[in-house]
Amino acid sequence: MKENIRNFIAETTFTEPEKISDEIMIFDEGIFDSMGLLGLINFLEEEFGVVTDDTELVEENFGNVQRIAAFVESKRVAVAG
Amino acid sequence: MSTIQRPPFSRDIIKLKNLDEVVESICSKLKQDIGKRFRRRGAVIGISGGVDSSVCVALTVKALGAKNVLGVLLPESDSSPESKEYALVLAKKFGIDTIEENVSGALEGFRCYTRRDEAVKRVVPEYNPQEDKMKVVIPEEIIKSNLPPVHYVTVIFKDGSEKSVRLPMNEYLQIVAASNFKQRSRMTMLYYHSEALHRCVIGTPNKHEVQQGFFVKHGDGGADVMPIGNLYKTQVYQIAKHLGVPQMIIDRTPTSDTYPAEQTQEEFFFQMSFEEMDLFWYGWEKGYSAEEVAGVMGVEADEVAGIFKNFERKRQTTEFLRTPAVHEYYGV
Repeated sequence: MKENIRNFIAETTFTEPEKISDEIMIFDEGIFDSMGLLGLINFLEEEFGVVTDDTELVEENFGNVQRIAAFVESKRVAVAG
Repeated sequence: MSTIQRPPFSRDIIKLKNLDEVVESICSKLKQDIGKRFRRRGAVIGISGGVDSSVCVALTVKALGAKNVLGVLLPESDSSPESKEYALVLAKKFGIDTIEENVSGALEGFRCYTRRDEAVKRVVPEYNPQEDKMKVVIPEEIIKSNLPPVHYVTVIFKDGSEKSVRLPMNEYLQIVAASNFKQRSRMTMLYYHSEALHRCVIGTPNKHEVQQGFFVKHGDGGADVMPIGNLYKTQVYQIAKHLGVPQMIIDRTPTSDTYPAEQTQEEFFFQMSFEEMDLFWYGWEKGYSAEEVAGVMGVEADEVAGIFKNFERKRQTTEFLRTPAVHEYYGV
């Protein structure tokens, strides 16, 4: 899952995937901006079937690849449960 | 080791204390740029009845004389009727000729309204553009989330009820792209008049609009000179008072005048009052610490650090808007 997310970020920003570590803060580092965030929300829905609620739009869920993957996982568990 | 001497941060640190000198400096450069550098015979300004375009008129009249300044009113179907009233009061005060050019027909030709409304209907199917109004907003709770802002469309139905929905990427981009026909159609009309009269187009964005990217590239950002492009909004108000801009214009709340529903610039883009934003931006730009600014502004340093981060992000992500077409590619 992390690789999918990383590749999406890399492809949409013309960045080499190896430069996007799990921990790098994608917004603080200027890799993504507000359009990147909107694209990411679309991607999570299309790729993983995860719909992001307004209240979930926080740095704790979207700050880096690690957090995004954890967010997707938690949403899937919630749906499965 | 040398240290940079600068005044301690304070609430009146950006207050202009020598207004005659400031005005003289701007007018002298305007005259030089338009008359000598660009060899044009005068100026054309789109006037909206807002304080920014009004101060530009006042400065340009002082620099070139009223007979060399044309004010162009550029209403369209969504414009507030108040804008025309205020613009005419301004024109009378400064003695300039005006012409009204309604750009609604051009916008209909571009399918501006249809393209925008199609996108709104995809997220709010019950939206009826003939009866309802809409605007694009950033909710306050989103601003505080530390992520880049995402936009919501708010539809105000005929019965007064409202519905807000977060805009997916495609719909947001389509609404913005369609709405930007407005500023670009106005720019086209301004250049018609400026070329027909062999004059310059005066751009009216202030420092925040330029630096934070609150303008449309090749729209209201399309101009030959921007006399207030380096002035904070509170400084624009100081000059407005100094040059006698009518009080009704000074007292008017700045709006985006872009979407059918009334919307302040603060609500649409800046998310804080001009007085606060001017000071925070100055503090950030001049390298004052978050702690020093926080002490003066009466907020926590963490909050100031977040504001500084947001400014930095905005400055970076809008560089595209301020950059002319890049042409330094291979050549011999």
